[in-house]
Amino acid sequence: MAANLSNAAAIVGAAESNDIGYPSERGLKVTSLQHHIEAIKNVTDLTGIPISDIQGVFSAGWSSQLAEHLGLKPRYIDTTSVGGCSFQILVHHALSAIHAGIIDVALVSHGQAGWSYRGAGGGGGRNVPGEIDPAAEMTMSYGVFGAPSNYAHAMRRHMHSFGTTPEDFAHVSVVTRQWAMLNPRAVMFSKETNPYGGPITVEDVMNARLIAWPLTLYHCCLVTDHGGAVLVARPEIARSLRTNPVWIAGAGESMGHSNMLEMEDFTATSASRSSATAYEMAGLGPDDMEMAMIYDSFTITAAITAEMLGLAPRGKGHTLWKEGHAAPGGRLPINTNGGGLSFNHSGMYGMQLLVEAYRQLSGTAEDGVNGIEGKQTSARTCVVNGTGGTLSTTGTLVLTAD
Amino acid sequence: MAYDKPIPPHGQHTQPFWDGAKEGKLMLPRCRNCNRVHWYPRHICPFCHSTDIEWIEASGEGHIYTYAVQHRAFGGWAKEVPYVTAYIDLAEGDRMLTVLRGVDPNNPESIKIGAKVTVEFEAADEETHIPFWRVAEG
Repeated sequence: MAANLSNAAAIVGAAESNDIGYPSERGLKVTSLQHHIEAIKNVTDLTGIPISDIQGVFSAGWSSQLAEHLGLKPRYIDTTSVGGCSFQILVHHALSAIHAGIIDVALVSHGQAGWSYRGAGGGGGRNVPGEIDPAAEMTMSYGVFGAPSNYAHAMRRHMHSFGTTPEDFAHVSVVTRQWAMLNPRAVMFSKETNPYGGPITVEDVMNARLIAWPLTLYHCCLVTDHGGAVLVARPEIARSLRTNPVWIAGAGESMGHSNMLEMEDFTATSASRSSATAYEMAGLGPDDMEMAMIYDSFTITAAITAEMLGLAPRGKGHTLWKEGHAAPGGRLPINTNGGGLSFNHSGMYGMQLLVEAYRQLSGTAEDGVNGIEGKQTSARTCVVNGTGGTLSTTGTLVLTAD
Repeated sequence: MAYDKPIPPHGQHTQPFWDGAKEGKLMLPRCRNCNRVHWYPRHICPFCHSTDIEWIEASGEGHIYTYAVQHRAFGGWAKEVPYVTAYIDLAEGDRMLTVLRGVDPNNPESIKIGAKVTVEFEAADEETHIPFWRVAEG
């Protein structure tokens, strides 16, 4: 029986880099490394924890480079890179390392110039040049390019299994624009900041350019730049800081597959397992959650995940958006930053989920820059779920405010 | 016209698949220990972890599990849009990805999940004949 790690550590601060979204369109050249470092500087300034106090460095592939850049000699190095959910999983690992007594303060960091340096390589290739794995060998012939082309198969299967329609899922996109209109840093804040900006209607989603039927452009997340960092610390430290702690009541991770070829049921992800672990650790269930941050790489991702997290019955995930529950003023606010669909999505979006969950539960979701009046909710509990790969890997956190 | 879409390299342990494809046969790996077919080809049986794997000739029949219509593509596929990609449940078990033939990409609702499909091969080059699936008549 595993030890119960519930509340063995808290997220004590969260911050972003200075120029997110499309900095290259504003004449800036901000690299992924610079996004990391700015976010780290900002979160240490926010909390008052000196950079030199960081004992564990957690990132999706960057940890040794970051530690070197910061002049750190960490005693815990974790560079787990399993797609956008890596950051939920890294928080789980940081919690474990703190619970085990190995470290007191962990940095979880993200930097990704997903728009400005798009196409520059640096993808998640696992093979040395010239090698090919058999899953790639047996799928590369079939004209499937990247995430949208594959996620479309999942929406079509959901439509078949549950009688849902593309219009049902379009509501997810419509509601994320409503949240984005409360977040000045969101790419889709307004029609002035972006021609595709909020507000939009279901008809707008359905009439947008087809990417991979049944997905139109507005069913798909943004491609942007982002940097973000959170600090995780043991309770004695968390209670001594000027920032409000957000407690890690539960954490879990799991995976279904790596290649979508191996996904057994295209309407179900491992979030059912990662959330079961997290809820059990927390001693809380889906009915106790007062808000949710759910990875929305596509509208279908968010809808399926809501089902996996127990927030809606099977086949009914989309109703949280369609019936307005997830919207501003609703009973279960979801993706209050505007989500990957309307705020920011740098390729891996898990850090954006964490930053917003921290801000909401610490009461700092409205500062005029990261949110305006109406964005701050009264939620004291939040389930955060990242999904990585092609509905492949998941990490779930159950977070609570003091 | 020369085949202008991605042509997969052959792995050492997948060569029997490509040898069969050249003769118009769909070859699948099956574990001699647990008798289960798996796809894609493994170095070890994902069900029982035996390494005693043989190749069998499949029926070449299956059903559509799900599909999508691709409107955005790159390389040789770009001039083929829109085209239908699909995951096929094989009669022998497990699942394959394909570009589906015999369907109308401009009328996606007319394509039926569960429809019967059969395999055919296209010669990409002399050594690589690629399986594609076609919706069976009726």
